[in-house]
Amino acid sequence: MPSRRPLRRALLTSGLLIAGAFILAACSADRPMSTLDVQGSHARNILDLLIPIFWAAVAVFVVVEGILLYTIFRFRSRNADTIPTQFHGNTTIEILWTIAPALIVLVIAVLTFRTQAINSRTSEDALRIVAVGQQWWFSFDYPEQGVTTANELYIPVGREVTVQLDARDVIHNFWIPKLAGKTYMIPGNTNYLTFNAETEGVYRGQCAEFCGQAHALMKFRVIAVQPEVFDQWVAAHKTIPAAPVAAAYTGTPPGKDTGYQWVPVMPAFPATVNGQTFSGDGTGGNAENGLAVYNGKGLCYTCHAIAGNEKAVGKVGPNLTYTGSRTMIAAGLIPNTTANMYAWLHAPGTIKPGNIMSTVIVPGLLTDQEIKDLTAYMESQTHDIPLPAER
Amino acid sequence: MATIERPVQRPVSVPKAVTEPTGWLSWFSTVDHKKIGIMYLVSAFIFFVIGGIEALLMRLQLATPNGTLLSPDAYNQLMTMHGTTMVFLAVMPLNVGLGNYLVPLMIGARDMAFPRLNALSIWLFILGGLMLYSSFALGGAPNAGWFAYAPLTETAYSPTHGMDYWILGLTLTGVASIAGAVNFIVTILNMRAPGMRLNRMPLFVWAQMVTSFIIIFAFPSLTVAQVFLLFDRNFGTRFFLADQGGDPMLWLHLFWFFGHPEVYILVLPVFGMISEILPTFSRKPIFGYAFIAYSTVAIGFLGFLVWAHHMFGTGLGPMVNAFFSGASMLIAIPTGVKIFNWIGTLYGGSLQLKTAMYFALGFISMFVIGGISGITLASPPVDLQQTDTYYVVAHFHYVLFGGAIFGIFAGAFYWFPKMSGRYLNETMGKIQFWLLLISFNVTFGPMHELGTQGMPRRIYTYQPGMGWDFWNLVETVASFGIAIAVALFMWNVVVSLRSGQRAPADPWDGSTLEWATASPPPVYNFAKIPRVHSRRPLWDSKYPEMEVSHSQGTRPMKRKEVAALDTGDQDQALFDPSTIHLPAPTFGPLWVSLGICVVFYGILYLVDSNYLSVIAVVAGLGLFAFGVTSWLRSADRDSAGAH
Repeated sequence: MPSRRPLRRALLTSGLLIAGAFILAACSADRPMSTLDVQGSHARNILDLLIPIFWAAVAVFVVVEGILLYTIFRFRSRNADTIPTQFHGNTTIEILWTIAPALIVLVIAVLTFRTQAINSRTSEDALRIVAVGQQWWFSFDYPEQGVTTANELYIPVGREVTVQLDARDVIHNFWIPKLAGKTYMIPGNTNYLTFNAETEGVYRGQCAEFCGQAHALMKFRVIAVQPEVFDQWVAAHKTIPAAPVAAAYTGTPPGKDTGYQWVPVMPAFPATVNGQTFSGDGTGGNAENGLAVYNGKGLCYTCHAIAGNEKAVGKVGPNLTYTGSRTMIAAGLIPNTTANMYAWLHAPGTIKPGNIMSTVIVPGLLTDQEIKDLTAYMESQTHDIPLPAER
Repeated sequence: MATIERPVQRPVSVPKAVTEPTGWLSWFSTVDHKKIGIMYLVSAFIFFVIGGIEALLMRLQLATPNGTLLSPDAYNQLMTMHGTTMVFLAVMPLNVGLGNYLVPLMIGARDMAFPRLNALSIWLFILGGLMLYSSFALGGAPNAGWFAYAPLTETAYSPTHGMDYWILGLTLTGVASIAGAVNFIVTILNMRAPGMRLNRMPLFVWAQMVTSFIIIFAFPSLTVAQVFLLFDRNFGTRFFLADQGGDPMLWLHLFWFFGHPEVYILVLPVFGMISEILPTFSRKPIFGYAFIAYSTVAIGFLGFLVWAHHMFGTGLGPMVNAFFSGASMLIAIPTGVKIFNWIGTLYGGSLQLKTAMYFALGFISMFVIGGISGITLASPPVDLQQTDTYYVVAHFHYVLFGGAIFGIFAGAFYWFPKMSGRYLNETMGKIQFWLLLISFNVTFGPMHELGTQGMPRRIYTYQPGMGWDFWNLVETVASFGIAIAVALFMWNVVVSLRSGQRAPADPWDGSTLEWATASPPPVYNFAKIPRVHSRRPLWDSKYPEMEVSHSQGTRPMKRKEVAALDTGDQDQALFDPSTIHLPAPTFGPLWVSLGICVVFYGILYLVDSNYLSVIAVVAGLGLFAFGVTSWLRSADRDSAGAH
């Protein structure tokens, strides 16, 4: 039937286009969460398994839908009174088409079990990290190195990493799409995930299990660096940060902010709360006074530990040692700039609704100057480990 | 075979109806399976529309990055209620409604085995749904997802009463489902017309029977989990609190031991509908009746062995994952072969492309996509990348919307003439079909891509620069196409009920017994119970001289027994329908279910030490007791009047 050829060709072309788009999309660097642009062993093994399954699926799709469409066009009737042969089965065909899917499934199962075996292996000399999920951030502990940090996980390139996954409150899910598949963090149950990063870079991670109001905003980053840089980072982190100075803080070096709006709602500035004016400009603070706010009126020390600050031993919130060198604040939410730090310390509940800090730090609790001082204290604790590119 | 001239259709006996109260009150006291079926269909469709509006609001929020239409909590409430509504209050009761209406007709019975229990089911379902929705007005809807993973659902993390409404509302509908399932099983096993052996039952009846068994074994697991959670939240137990000796894994197992069979509860009846519709519009018997029937049973069993494929990421270990992965892939075989059987039914047929057939064919093609996209989810390593992303959202919408909802629309167009005596408008139906097919695919197709690009599920917002903006906007636009298609269907129903073309008893030249009685059927269904001699009793009475061959290639077999559909026409003159004994209407089941509902409201607020809640429990128990006595009195009257 020549009249139907164009239809078939259109279907074929669009099918190929869709498949092509699917594959092309894999190579784009502006897709930071892509599961196809793999940069780590765990994710790569998964992709290597997905590809044969994908083509098998495409083949099944084309064959089954093709037969269906052919049958519909071939046997459609315009005459209501014709009655076809009344057959109701064919044992040979039925046996054949039971065996065919069984064989396909068998092959897929064998491939699956092989990948599963590879991905659940762990090596003796893997770097051990303890990750704990909590509403709505991640803490990272390096027990062998004696380092604790939060929301930004440094790992050495090429070395296997075994992350022990725990949760403190509700179920979370640890996921770095370009490096490794998801593994749940379940209170009272410990899971392990072993993977490595093949290329250095800053990778996006996100909690993948619904964990409450701000689940969408629970992110983290994995920073994969060369082994020697990793060692520098560990050494830097084990050094007590320099004491805060009284000099006026001049702000973040330019070039950190990409210009995206990172969260739906940011506090608007200048703002007026209870007669006080808030400028939104975080520069000009005094880090020494900031330490006093941290350990005093701001009550920061009750939840957030900082190495070298003896009063600050709280563990309810993220460890804030060397916060100034983090790329992001508020668990991967907003870039770590002076203005963003100011905004966060002014109204954390606006940026990340429902977080615990917002029940203490309400707008107006700290004055404009106190926020500037605190910003200076936070931002001035830096180390000079170079960052790799974002991937 | 050559074209056979169609014989004049035998007149089907339709004596005058016995008088029944017709006022609006009769809907509250009815025990007629057809009226109850319609009540199920109408109330479930209303919930379907509400769930759809919730989905549209979520799509509007996600149309662009950083959407601010909804607050995070409002989004989470809508997300939870959309899932809960579509599963428990829309698709399940739509299937139950069709089953309620059709099963007794298809097996040649006058009603369900327990008509008053049937009334209890519909009222518990409606009240459960209303109770769940009342939470919006009474302090906030549940907001922890339809899967309600503990400990997020514990009081510490979900302090509003929303989750209590979720637990108790769903417990009401759960009791309704179990009671309904018992009713279906007893009806199907005990009330078939003479000669209708199990292997002569219509495949829709097979599907309803297997579904009912699944309900009986799966729902208790959910109810147990919910009662545990209720006690954790309100009475100080610690079933799911890890730091106090409980374990969140217990919830995961109990929930998914129910949750996966639930998928089959949702789609098996639809498989059954498709297995009725395709043969009728192909004018051929179903291809591989035995396989379809037995594979339904196989799927029912296997469905209980795959629940942990929802938990591949939870650290069950490679051996456990391998077992559940293997079982999940195994279940693909009977499901796949069913699809081949349906295509085999079409093959060689004379396809009448009515709207019902359009939707049935749409069902097959969409369900194939949903089945194929599920293969990767059954493979634990790949699942670890795809689970909890929009890929999963795409997958199960292809199964439950492209599958179940398309199938239910097919059923609606197919059986509407039977229920109302009028056809639905075919032109509007076909426009609706194409609009729905296109907008459904444009809404849910790109979600495969979004999930592959790492967009997690259940997020109320996302930021720009992730490569997700374009498809999210496209999906939101297309989702309104779905809304228009559903609105068109509602318009079609309204118009057709008033002025649609009148339908005869057997509008599609069907083969099963429901077409042997009038459209709409009289309250007693059949003047005389027909005697069944084959799988296609009505067809064989219309075409008694037709040969049935086993397959195109093999030797044609002459049917041994050529019998008319035995509806007792000979005694027609002597037949008086008023002598048919039918159970009398009663308000008992309504009072009983209202009583339970009031008790549940009381339990819900007991933890607040509110004396009103104690009064509610006591008053509810009183209402319950009153309902039981009224129920028993009505039952007594009936058995006294029986003969």
